[in-house]
This record gives sequence, structure tokens and C-alpha cells, in this order.
Amino acid sequence: MREKVAAQPPDEGGGTRGLPLTRPSGTLSRKGRGGPPSRPRRQTDVETWVAGMITLIARRIATAFMTILAVVVLSGLLVHVVPGDPVTAMMAQSVTASPEVMAEMRSQLGLDLPVWQQVARYAGGVLTGDLGTTIRGNEPVARLLLERLPNTFILAASGLGVALVLGVPLGFIAAINRGRLADTAVMIIAVLGVSIPGFWLGLAMIQIFSLKLGWFPVAGTNARNLVLPALTLGLIYCALVARMTRSALIEILAEDYIRTARARGLREREVLLVHALKPALISIVTVVGLVFAYLMGGQVIIENVFSWNGIGRLAIQAMLQRDYPMIQGFIVVFATSVVVVSMSLDILYGILDPRMRQR
Amino acid sequence: MNAPVRRRRRRLPLNVLLGLGLATIVVAVAVLAPVIAPFDPMRMAAGPRLAAPSLAHLFGTDEFGRDLFSRVVRGAHLSLGIGLAAVVAGLAVGGLIGLVAAFAGRLVEAVLLRVIDLLYSFPDTLIALALVAFLGPGLVNATIAIAVSLVPFYARVAYSLAVAERAKPYVEAARLAGIGSGRLVRVHVMPNIGQSLIVMATLGFSSAILSAAGLSFLGLGVQPPSPEWGAILASGRNYITKAPWILIFPGLAICMTVLAFNLLGDSLRDLADPRRTAPQRAGA
Amino acid sequence: MTALKNMLKMPVAAALLAGTALAAQPAVAAGLTVARSVDADGLDIHKVSTTQSMQVTNLLFDTLLTMDRSGGIHPGLASGYTLSEDGKTYVFTIRDGLKCHDGSAFDAAAVKFNIDRALDPATVSPNASSWGPIDSVAVEGSTVTVTMKSPYGPFTAFLAGMQSGLMCPSSVAGAEFTPIGTGPFKLVSWTRNDRIELAANPDYVNFSPLIENPGKPHLDTLTIMVVPEAVARMAALRSGEVDMVEPSLEEAADLKDDDAFKVYAADLSGQQVFAAFTWKIAPLDNPNVRKAIGMAMNRDAYATIGFEGLVDVANCPVAPNLFATDEEKCASWGVSYDPEAAKALLAEAGYGPDKPLKVKLLVHKLQGWDQMHQIMQQDLAAIGVEAEIETREVAAFFDYMGTVNGKAEGEPAVWTMGMSGADPDYLYFLWKQPGFTNMGLSDTMDAELEAQRALSGDARAAKVQEIQQYLLENAYAVPLVSPGWGWLMASTAKVDGFKMGHMVTLLFNDVTVTE
Repeated sequence: MREKVAAQPPDEGGGTRGLPLTRPSGTLSRKGRGGPPSRPRRQTDVETWVAGMITLIARRIATAFMTILAVVVLSGLLVHVVPGDPVTAMMAQSVTASPEVMAEMRSQLGLDLPVWQQVARYAGGVLTGDLGTTIRGNEPVARLLLERLPNTFILAASGLGVALVLGVPLGFIAAINRGRLADTAVMIIAVLGVSIPGFWLGLAMIQIFSLKLGWFPVAGTNARNLVLPALTLGLIYCALVARMTRSALIEILAEDYIRTARARGLREREVLLVHALKPALISIVTVVGLVFAYLMGGQVIIENVFSWNGIGRLAIQAMLQRDYPMIQGFIVVFATSVVVVSMSLDILYGILDPRMRQR
Repeated sequence: MNAPVRRRRRRLPLNVLLGLGLATIVVAVAVLAPVIAPFDPMRMAAGPRLAAPSLAHLFGTDEFGRDLFSRVVRGAHLSLGIGLAAVVAGLAVGGLIGLVAAFAGRLVEAVLLRVIDLLYSFPDTLIALALVAFLGPGLVNATIAIAVSLVPFYARVAYSLAVAERAKPYVEAARLAGIGSGRLVRVHVMPNIGQSLIVMATLGFSSAILSAAGLSFLGLGVQPPSPEWGAILASGRNYITKAPWILIFPGLAICMTVLAFNLLGDSLRDLADPRRTAPQRAGA
Repeated sequence: MTALKNMLKMPVAAALLAGTALAAQPAVAAGLTVARSVDADGLDIHKVSTTQSMQVTNLLFDTLLTMDRSGGIHPGLASGYTLSEDGKTYVFTIRDGLKCHDGSAFDAAAVKFNIDRALDPATVSPNASSWGPIDSVAVEGSTVTVTMKSPYGPFTAFLAGMQSGLMCPSSVAGAEFTPIGTGPFKLVSWTRNDRIELAANPDYVNFSPLIENPGKPHLDTLTIMVVPEAVARMAALRSGEVDMVEPSLEEAADLKDDDAFKVYAADLSGQQVFAAFTWKIAPLDNPNVRKAIGMAMNRDAYATIGFEGLVDVANCPVAPNLFATDEEKCASWGVSYDPEAAKALLAEAGYGPDKPLKVKLLVHKLQGWDQMHQIMQQDLAAIGVEAEIETREVAAFFDYMGTVNGKAEGEPAVWTMGMSGADPDYLYFLWKQPGFTNMGLSDTMDAELEAQRALSGDARAAKVQEIQQYLLENAYAVPLVSPGWGWLMASTAKVDGFKMGHMVTLLFNDVTVTE
């Protein structure tokens, strides 16, 4: 359907597209349960703080692990209850396989076992680092994913790069003109980007930049092919970055130390760029980190439109072909990247209290 | 959270006006669709095939000679309907999970939080594909799939709002007075967080519309010949060179609607609590 | 990687054929890039089942026999064969001097290797049953003797089709499968879901009557890319980024009229699109109701509007141009477009404006089909049948049809599907109980279908036609159009000599690219 979107803190909620995904483990834990211990204010607290951090990290890793395992099991159950199995999908074109051959194929692939056994078998494999082999083509799932992860990574990073390059200045302009026409106009432009269906924007890009203008090639997975999909993703995520920048800056500009800086007679440019923007970037980067985790698995449609050979394309095709090991392999990678990123941010929050920078 | 709120008297800002204006137009079109549409949106050969926009056919015609303007207008009906249904269902289920997590004790809270975590760790495109394959295609099932994909988001939002509320003195007081959790939530907490939830619903609405279009684009959403916008785009995409209007107008309709509700949601949130525009900080 | 090594190892022994090959060779070393929507699943011919896979394996592997345009069987890797009186024993003579891509020889033992491997239960070949009731395979010198348990008429047609491509035994010598064959192209590299790089086989000797070039393909390299989005594929063709694509139906019609492009349609596709019924469920158990629905279907509109005029209306339950297919006879047996007569039949069955018949229209997504179904829905509405379209993706659709066709109660449904093959024997897979997605008919039909397999020549033709007549007169199937999926290719005008063979094989042997 549409690209996965935007992880943001809850109250930031998301005038954005898609599921404005709030990352639970990060924010939840800090509110509800025992969050990371706060930064030691005095030297004597350091030991306690370090011990606390270690416990926190250990606990986070344990939960992350459990979450991934649960995802493996649940997704296993889910893909198996979906109607149509790999053999049906494979035979859809060539019905000349007799029912006996199809039954034989099912038993070879272990598809005649009870679902729980198949899922347990797969989960066992994952635990030992074995993601299995695809049903179509009999290739190791891990290898297929690993070959494509760099491509997906590059596209996600470039898309976010574009979003940052566009979004941060827009948010900055909006913040310093808060409440004025420029603010509103900038934010409307940013929100417009997030209101366009990704597939539609992608098709339009191809039509204009590849066909009419001939600037970029249509299909393939190399540097020149990167431009259009990265631009498409960038435009979509630009709104999120712009809004984050704007609100972070607005909050920081209201802080005492900024007033102090101004009172000290620092030039406004320096106040804005050095004292305000830099700390604001920290919160932007954390959000971007979360978005990144989603982009890794969520740019499925964009990868398809631009024939970018990433893991998203493997996933959609595997779903249509009911290639269970491939689907599950993708879900494992996706869940892992989400969990790892949110875990890292969680830990990072513990170590890096942004307020420290503001002194 | 409880920093002093600075309220300035001000006129409605431009983005609110724009959001409101666009949303009003879209809703009006959706409601009045049967009156506005000059043709039956399903009627083939209402005009020549693939005719460019003209006075007779404002948005041109599609591959069957159906009037595209009538289809886009009637599509508003469908798209808004799907968005609304998905958001209401998602909000009801997700909100319930969030509130229960916040007020039903530590064990339930821990379990539900893990469940929400888990739901977030699934790639939603695949899950929607799986759900639609499981439930079968069609308007209702596509709506269900979208609603399901919204649940973790609303659960999350409701939970964090409720937790913030939970920490407030009046809740403590009510607890001491012996008011049960259920009543506490219904009578005291709900009214307080309802406003924020409605804002979230507005934003979820636009994402639901995009999701519906995406599902239809993959051919799994609303069934042809229903003029849902995503479905029109999906079936018309290969006319992009020959008859680009088949893609332009429904696409613009989606953009306009999503933009309207995004702007509206954003500004509602700002108006409701200007402080909230700030990013949330760790433990702050 | 292994393929690459093999290529390097290979002695350039093209000298033998150089004379013939060079004669037709254009001056410039040429490459061609083709963009398709889906990649091959694999290149192990014994394990793949999709057309997209076999379109590639067919470039790597040759077949024992070949088929001409009218279905006649010709020699291939076998220079000839004999069939015993009882129709059970085939003796194939394998040509001398056949050379694999890696330089090894292809001989009678290699043929036996292929049959054994395809039939080995451990291989789980999707096409295992198409080989027929093979009892034993014996090699003696350059002959291979295949003995059947019972006569199997479709055998030679199968041996001429891309499903029976023969690999060289060295393909399985390494730890991983490496496709090595005797075909016109050899594999250079394959990045799954992205591109397959092929190079011409300098030693190639052609046996197919569909191809003119006797030796090495004129192209030096062939790249088969995957571009899933049709809009992107068309843009790539128009911008000159690729030379040939699987076009979108919508644009193919335009390209046809454009001098800068060429459109190719596989007239030998063997594809047949038809509508079928859940005939166990009332009121579709009544042949007249089925006929009425068939009469409502304006198949001309499906072909001209739904498929943009790129397909033809078809009248038989199997594709035109296949053995024993007679379009005229079929037309007389089956229903034709007549909404008024359809209404009358429905009225007889007790349906009319006061009591409309409601059915589901169960379909899966495909180019052209989506449009066809929408017109079909209107056609049915015109005779007072309310049809609700339900589109599923392929796997879910066939799974669902298996369930629906198994039921004798529930909502009546009309559904569409496509089938392809090089021989009308596919009727056997569809209509023999339990049949594909449980669509099998009856014990009588089973017997007839078995009977046609045991016959050959005119006797078989008569039996096949009898079966078709029965299917049409009882309206179990309403033939719609042919071909129906993936049968089009489009190229820029500078590409010359491209052909498509049986079951949509892609033939690049004669292709030249002019600048």
C-alpha cells in the first residue's frame, strides 16, 4: 500500500501521512515504566548511573530479542493462514502439474505439516541463524536479503538525505517566522509533499524526468537511477523533518539560555545557527533514525515503481508467490531494524540527555 | 507538559482556513455527489473513449468512455467513507487498548505494551496484503485492513495521553475516593483526552485515505467498477501518456483531501495546545 | 560465477560454424536489452513452472523435437524417432557432435539423464506428469528408447515444447546448479530480480523450423531486465533505454501505429481465456442458465475494448492453432452473443426483472482482464443478471476457486481463467476429476479424456473434438479470447527479426539491430 511512515513522538503525532508511527519502546518506556536513570549530576552518582545503564541495556536487548522472536512466530502463523500456498501460486500458470505432483511438492516443502510445526521449525532455524531457502528458485533467503540490503539502505539514506536538505531549512524558516505568513506558507508546502500518494508521485517523476526531459534513466540499481526514487522519498518525508525542525526550534528559542545569549549581544545569526539549531538537530536526528528503520522495509512501492533492486521488491513478490521463507525472512529483517533502531535510541536517550548540551 | 500556555488572540491562520476550506469542499462534494455528478459514474460510453477534458466532460473520459468528473466526484463518497470507517474502528479498538493498558494494572500494562511494540514491528504493506488475501477483496475488507493498520498508532497515542492524565492529582484523588478504574476512565479521563484523540483521528483520516488508495493501486482494495480514487489510478495508470487526465484528476483529488485533513489536524493540534508543537523529550 | 568460469574455460571452437554464421552476421557487434515485468524463478528446467522462467531456459536449452507453425513435429536434438505399433515404445536417434556451452558433448546418455532427473520424485518437477506414463528409458549408442506403460499421444508435442528443454549433465556437476545447455545463448550472470546477462553460443546449430538463422545468433549479448511497473517499462522503451519490452496493453495498441516501434503478438501462444461456472451450485446446474450467461457475453467487445483489439475472439475450449482445434465447428457448438435469447432462457428458468439472478464474478488481476470483467458485468446486467466482481491476487484466487468449485451449495459464481499449452491435452488437466481447482466434471468425461491420450492421429483428433463439443454444448466453458496474458512484446523499429514461438517462447536467433 503506501510507504511506511514517520516515527515520531506521540504528541508530534503526525500530520503526516501513513501511520504516523510512534515508536513505542523508546517513548513508552520512558514514561510508563522505569526509564533510564537520569544523568548523574554529581561525581558520586556515576557508579550508580553506569550500573543503571548496564541494566537498562541488558533489559532492552532481552526485550528486543523477545520481540523479534514473537514477530517471527506471529508472522509465521499469519502467512500460513492466508489462502493460497506456494504450490498453488506456482501452478497458477502451469496447471499441468497433476494433483499427485502438487501433493508431492507440498510434502517435499514440508507444507503438509501442521502450521505450528512449520512455524516452530522456522523459528528454530532463525534462532540458529538460518533463514531457510526460498521456495521459488531454492536460494538461501539470507543471501538474497544480504545482497539487497545495501541497495535498500542506500535508497533509504538518500531519501532521508533529501528530506533533511529540504526539510531543515524549511522548518528553520518557519520557526523564525513563527505565526507569520512565511511560517504558514512553508508548512503548507511541506505538508503538501506528504499528501501526495507515493506511487503517483513516482509515476509522474518517471514521466517527466525520464521520458520528457530524458535526464535520468527509468530502471536499474545504480547511481543515476538513485536520483528519482530518492527525490520521491525525500519529498514525502520532508514534511516530517520540517515540522520537527520547526517545533524543536520554537521550543529552544523560548529557552532561557537563548535569551541570555541574545542579551549578551550575540549576533542573531550565531544565536540561531549555533545555539538553537544545533541542539534542535539532535531531536531531529533521533526522529530520522526511527523513520529510517521504517524506510528500510517500507519503501516497497517506490522500489517497485523505480525497479530498484532492494528488499522491498523481494517482499512483495514473495507475498504474491506465497514464498513463506522469503516473506518471513523479510519480516525478520524489518522487525530487527525497527527494534534495533528504537533500542539504540532508547539507550542513547539514557546516555545523552539533550539538556546537557544546553548549559 | 504543564508549562504555562501562552494564548494569543488571533485570527484563524491561513493553514487553518485552507484546511477548513478544502475539507468543506471535499465533504460537500462527497455528500452532494449524486447531485453534482452529471453522469452515472458506472455508465460506459457516456462519451467517446479517452476523450480529453472538455465542457461536456470536465475531466475527460476513461477507457470505457465513462465520465471521469462523475467518477471522481462519486469517488469522494467512497474514499471519505472508507477513511471515516477505518478511523472510527481503529480509534475505538486502539483507544480501548491504550486506555486499558494505562489503567488496568501493571501486569496488563506490561503485556499490552509488548503487544503494541510487536504490532509496530510488522511491515504494514505486507500485513495489509496478507489481511486482504485472508479476508477476501472488497470495500469492507479493505477498510478492515486499514483499520487494523491504524490500531497500534491509536493504542500508542491513547496510552501516552492516558498516562499523562494518570499522573495528574485529580486522578489520584478520585482513586482515593474509591472510584473504580472503569468509571474513572469514562467520566474523568475520556473528556480530558478526547480532544487530543479527535485531533489524532483527523490525522489518521488522511493516512487512511492514502492507505486505501495504495491498496486499490495494488488491486486489492475497492473492486472495479467502483470509482474509488486509488482504483481509478490503478486501472488508468497505463494511459499516462495517452490520456494523462485519468491519472491527474483522481490524483489531485487524493492530494487535496489528504492535504485538507493534514492541515486541519495540524492546526487543530496547535490550537488545542500550542505547547504540544514542541517535540517530546525524554522524561520531560 | 560458475557460469562465468565455464565461459572462460570454453575453447572458442566456433570455426566449424564460422562460415554459415558469418554470412548473416551484421557488421556491428550487437547487444539487445529486453525488459520484462517478472524475473525467472529459476533456470533449472526441471523445477520451474512459470512462463517467465521458461522463456529464459528456452534460450539456454534445446529440445529433443521441434514444432512448426502448424503444430507439425520436426527433429531437434534428436535427428528422428520411431514409434512402435502398440504406441508404447519410442526410439530417438540423438545427433552426433552436439556441444554444450561448456564444451562437453551432449549425447543419448544426457537425454536419459534429463528424463530420469525430471521424473525422480526427489526433484519434484512440476512438469513430471507431462512426460507421460514412462516405464523405462534405455540408452544404446546414440539411441534412446523410451517405453510407456500405456500409449501417450501428447508425448511428441511435449518433447517439442519449452517445458522439456534438455540440460547438459554438467549443469549439476557443481554444488550449485549451473544452467549449461546446447541452446543459442549461454548464461553469463544473473542478479535475481534485476537482470540476466546472456551471451551468444558460438557453436549453436539450429533445428527449429521457426528460425531461419542456422547457427550462432546475430546478437552477441542479450540482457533480460526486470522492470515491474508497466509505466516505467514503457518509458524505458520510449526513451531508448531498452530495446524491447513487455508492453502495457494500453500502449501496445498505440505503438502498433507508430513507425518508430514494432509490436509482436504471439500467435502460437496456445493460450485460451474462458469463463467457467460453479456448475454444481443452483441455478448454474441448469445448462440453459449457463448458456444464457454465455449468450450475454459480448466477446467482440472484450477483444476490441478490453484487450485493445490485440486478441481475437476464440470459440474452442482450447486455443486456436492447436492440434484438432477447429474454430468453425466450435462456433457452431457453443453459444453466440444474443442478449434477447439469453433473457428468454433466463425467463424459462424463472428469472426476470422481478427476480433477478445474482452471481459473483470471481476473477484475478491481469492486464486486459480487468477491463473485460467490467464489460462483462455490464453485459450480464443487460440480461438482468446482477454480477458482483471479486478480484483476488493469483494465489488466493486459485485457492478460493478450489474451495468454491468443490461446493454444491452457496452463491453461484461465474469465473474466468486462462490456460496454455502446446497440445489440447490440457483439457485433461482441467476437466478430469478432481481437475484443476476441483473443476473436474464426471466419470464419463474422465474416461473420454483418458481415451484421447491413448489415441493418436485422426482418431485422437476426433476424440478431442468430441470432448470439446460436449463442453460447449453443455456450456461448462464459454471460450472468450486468445491469447490472454504476457503474449505481447514491443521493440524499437531498429530491432529486426524477433519472433515468438509456441507458448510464448522468445526467439532471438534471427534478431539484428540496425543503428
